[in-house]
Amino acid sequence: MASTAATRAAAGASKVVKPIFSRDLDEAKRRVRELYRAWYREIPSTVALFQLDINVRTGRDKVREMFDKNKHVNDPRVIDLLVIKGKMELQETIHVWKQKTHIMRFFHESEVPRPKDFLSKFYSGHDP
Amino acid sequence: MAARVLQHCVRTLRLSSGPLALRAAVVPAAPLHRALSFYSADRRTRCVNKFPSLDVLCRQYGQLPPLTLESIEERVLYVLKLYDKINPEKLQATSHFMKDLGLDSLDQVEIIMAMEDEFGFEIPDGEAEKLMTPDEIVQYIADKKDIYE
Repeated sequence: MASTAATRAAAGASKVVKPIFSRDLDEAKRRVRELYRAWYREIPSTVALFQLDINVRTGRDKVREMFDKNKHVNDPRVIDLLVIKGKMELQETIHVWKQKTHIMRFFHESEVPRPKDFLSKFYSGHDP
Repeated sequence: MAARVLQHCVRTLRLSSGPLALRAAVVPAAPLHRALSFYSADRRTRCVNKFPSLDVLCRQYGQLPPLTLESIEERVLYVLKLYDKINPEKLQATSHFMKDLGLDSLDQVEIIMAMEDEFGFEIPDGEAEKLMTPDEIVQYIADKKDIYE
């Protein structure tokens, strides 16, 4: 893409790319915190609205887990895109455009876990 | 204000009715110097005890008890002790959330949200990210609510 080509061409000079929303890491982290607040406040009404069988605490732990998965990201544009995706999920949850099954998909309840040790992988077939 | 005028009428009625004449005479001088919140707390206790028939004239506005720096600190530390990621023995007024107590930035956000729920007013994120010790939180709330010593 044009922006990445320009940045590669200007090697040695500082990278200047067009920001998506936030100009530096602090602003991006602020957006993350705002999103976390919105999700944290939304969980009790989600549990009530969709009639989920989980505790509010379990729901909040799951939100924290999803946020922690991307803790290591440093690029403000990647953080912005993740925040945008999180906001889309939040909007769908608030307006009940999702259904109970979509929310419970976060909890991976009926997925068979992928085999990790050699013998289980061997038994389940060639799947490197 | 209307409350003060009504109080003055009640006071004069009581003066004329007599038994607490001495105490009631001293009182009208004092309220001018006290803050209105303390004044109304006193008025509530006195009204209910002595002259139940005159309660109709005492309008009792719903007010929370006045905040003091000690009460704010007590409530903040109480809420922090209830938080399950904080060890209550290690918690002090000056313990830093990230350095001393080993909490995350998202944990700090949760703590600030608990403070918002406790004290009933919004703390915007630009200022919330700077509050890193219980002392700073107490200072911020005292600044917002105009409480000083």
